[in-house]
Amino acid sequence: MSIVKNALKIFGGKSDEKEFRGFRKMRGPPPKKGEILVRAENVVKGFPGIWEHLILDHINFDVRAGEVHALLGENGAGKTVLANILSGFYVITSGQIYVRGKPVKFSSPRDALEHGIAMVHQEFTLVPTLTVAENIALGLKEYSSLSFPLKEVERRLAELSERYGLKVDPKARVEDLSAGERQRAEIMKVLYWEPDVLILDEPTSMLTPHEVDELFKVLRGMAAENKGVVFITHRIEEVMKVADRVTVLRLGKFMGTKPIQETSKEELLRLMIGEVEPFRPVRKPVKSERPVLEVRDLHVIGREGVEAVRGVTFTIREGEIFGIAGVAGNGQRELVEALTGLRKVKSGKIIVMGKDVTNKSPRELAKLGVRHIPEDRRGVGVAEPMTFGENIMMRDYCSPPFSKNGIIDYDFVTRHAKELIKKFEILTPDIWDTEVRILSGGNIQRLILARELWVEPKLLIAFHPTYGLDMKALTHTHKLFMRLREKGSAILLVSEDLEEVMSLSDRIAVMFRGKFMGVVDASKATVEEIGMMMAGIKPKEVSA
Amino acid sequence: MTSAAVQGVKRLFQKLKRPLLESLLAIIIGLIIGAILMAIFGYDPIAAYSALLIGSLGSFDGICESLANATPLMLTGLTFAIGVKSGYFNVGAEGQAYLGAIGAIMIGSTIHLPYGVHLAIATLFAMLMGALWSLPVSALKAWRGVHEVVSTIMLNWIALFFVRYLIEYHFYEPGRAERAMPVLPTARYQVLGASLTTVIFVALAFMLFAYFLLWRTTLGYELRLTGSNPEAARYIGINSTRVIFLNFFLGGLAAGLAGATQVLGRPPAWTIYKTLGNVMNLGFDGIGAALIGRNHPIGIIFASILLGVLSYGAKFMMYLGVDPDLARAINGAIIIALSLPELYRIIRRLIVGRGAE
Repeated sequence: MSIVKNALKIFGGKSDEKEFRGFRKMRGPPPKKGEILVRAENVVKGFPGIWEHLILDHINFDVRAGEVHALLGENGAGKTVLANILSGFYVITSGQIYVRGKPVKFSSPRDALEHGIAMVHQEFTLVPTLTVAENIALGLKEYSSLSFPLKEVERRLAELSERYGLKVDPKARVEDLSAGERQRAEIMKVLYWEPDVLILDEPTSMLTPHEVDELFKVLRGMAAENKGVVFITHRIEEVMKVADRVTVLRLGKFMGTKPIQETSKEELLRLMIGEVEPFRPVRKPVKSERPVLEVRDLHVIGREGVEAVRGVTFTIREGEIFGIAGVAGNGQRELVEALTGLRKVKSGKIIVMGKDVTNKSPRELAKLGVRHIPEDRRGVGVAEPMTFGENIMMRDYCSPPFSKNGIIDYDFVTRHAKELIKKFEILTPDIWDTEVRILSGGNIQRLILARELWVEPKLLIAFHPTYGLDMKALTHTHKLFMRLREKGSAILLVSEDLEEVMSLSDRIAVMFRGKFMGVVDASKATVEEIGMMMAGIKPKEVSA
Repeated sequence: MTSAAVQGVKRLFQKLKRPLLESLLAIIIGLIIGAILMAIFGYDPIAAYSALLIGSLGSFDGICESLANATPLMLTGLTFAIGVKSGYFNVGAEGQAYLGAIGAIMIGSTIHLPYGVHLAIATLFAMLMGALWSLPVSALKAWRGVHEVVSTIMLNWIALFFVRYLIEYHFYEPGRAERAMPVLPTARYQVLGASLTTVIFVALAFMLFAYFLLWRTTLGYELRLTGSNPEAARYIGINSTRVIFLNFFLGGLAAGLAGATQVLGRPPAWTIYKTLGNVMNLGFDGIGAALIGRNHPIGIIFASILLGVLSYGAKFMMYLGVDPDLARAINGAIIIALSLPELYRIIRRLIVGRGAE
């Protein structure tokens, strides 16, 4: 890094104003208020091999000068994909994009930038060890000729900072900045190019409420300068607060565009998550009173050293599906990690089938019949560079008949794999020659389901089991869960998909800031009640 | 049965076709680069290459010598490959080979035992010495999170001076203080021709053992699973400490054996010199063998033989007048060209892995 720094000192100085002024000229006169800056017409996007359904299914979307246009939808709705298409990161499968009325085809993000469209990504893209100004200088074309217009960049940043009320010190090192400041730096980085359209992907996810308000002021300020601002979020309150218009996506489908005055929170919620009355499969009541999992006053420390699970107590009986709903990041992940032996428990007890298994390893838990469908199926659930066969034996390889005396019985595993491929309808070209990396997400999930559920588990812990799956795979999974329930397995279902939790569960707990806001009977629960608890509002009556 | 066997062979060929073609292409590219180098400095490439090939493969002695050169490389290559398969960058074979060599001297030169027993014990002891030298690496990694590259390189240097000290003060040959006591005749592998001894069979057996362990046993599965996705290994409940110790220990055994081959199985000296000249760089050359052999035990055997041919044949290029440094540069070019496919794969995996998120 010091080499870069020295290089900066040596070469500092040349102006880049030509460059973005050049953009300006190419793009024509500054936009007038209300002018349509970007329009996407019937945009279709598919990721063959990874997702089975279309990720964007004939989307229409436009951004006008001087507005904040919110793009609302749940995880997996396709918001980020649409944003990536508009800003040149992805290529569309079919459809057309127009910039100020002219049809365009972006070949790169740089191309989109030259047409005046810039995107701020959800994850941070700045180099932590460089200063804000150095980071921006890195993106300039002069970088290639080894001269850093650092002074010029700093001057212009200060100017932008003033104009939009974005408080960032250009000389501060990125690693020293808070999340909010980092985000402002990211915004600066694209504002530097004077874009007409600015797309922000979930900009509020990392911010404190105060920082969110600041950000909203900045967004309004940019709209006042006749820029078009696209604001991606899954939070309805934020849309109501800052947006002029809102477009809702659900599972890749266009649900409508509304001016904010003509809509309501309730309507947006309905568009976002679908018809409120969830489908409930026919079921017999839970017969057994025998507890499979008992959790007593569990406290777990999370990733950042903060207590993420703060005193959770519940019991799941044989043949019961216990759902946990909640907005992501309220301790669900840490709870599941503790229950599956992947995270140390600070205090409290976990009891499975009458045995204390607090802080036991995943392997010991597996021996007791605990199976786990992990949240990150590609990153954790499988080893992508390994073959299908090697992945299908991952849970059971160390016990007979998969292996005897430490020697793997490949003949048995082959037979077993063939059986599971048939039973779970997994599409794979081969068992021992196929790396699972090439399988689609749905087939990887089927592989994991097959591996975890070919024996009826005593307890199944499923984290987002159907996230990103198509309808067929989703129904398949739901049927499988109901069948396991009939046979007496206890299931802990953690999902952000409210519909799924409500249709499958017998009881639902809502997690908020590391605690259960309440546990409700799923047959009596309403979406409003659960939605309130998800937002941290206690309902009147709570049944434990 | 026969049709199944034919199919098996066919599938094996299908699997191997691509790597073989790649390697062949790489050799040709390497040879061309070498030829260009020689042409620039005024040598006749065709004459030099024929000298290399005739010298190393044109006579029984030449073949034996090439194979003798290959023997330790396959083992140190295996050390590196097991590391890669388990997700670690183990460059400790160098120091562990020194320890293996001195271990072989300790038993081979000082104790009197009957022929077979003496040989076996000396070999095993040498392997254990190599493995012993891997324990600090594992301990530092498992309990203190020290990166294995740092600890293995440091231990390589410690091994160098430690072994030199042992030779100089405890195991020197009276009257010839520049080297350690040669091992007794009861601790020498049988000579097959030139400096090739039956130790090559021990090395080959160890390679097959490693292959079996990695692909047929649950332990090997745990190593490979950890190497391909440590998160998945954690999720399934694999004990990462055990994987660390096992991987470095196995690597140490192989490297220790590599050191032993140069003492118990390499005439005419049957010993090591204070400079460690005859065990120096075995570990690092082994990395080349591992990369060329795609980190697969069987591939490494062939890669080592190729390296053995190149290094022994290079002598004949020198006899022809090619500058020794240039001869080494030519070998280097061929080795780099051969390692490129594997390096490319590793790099592409990194980039594609990120892009797919």
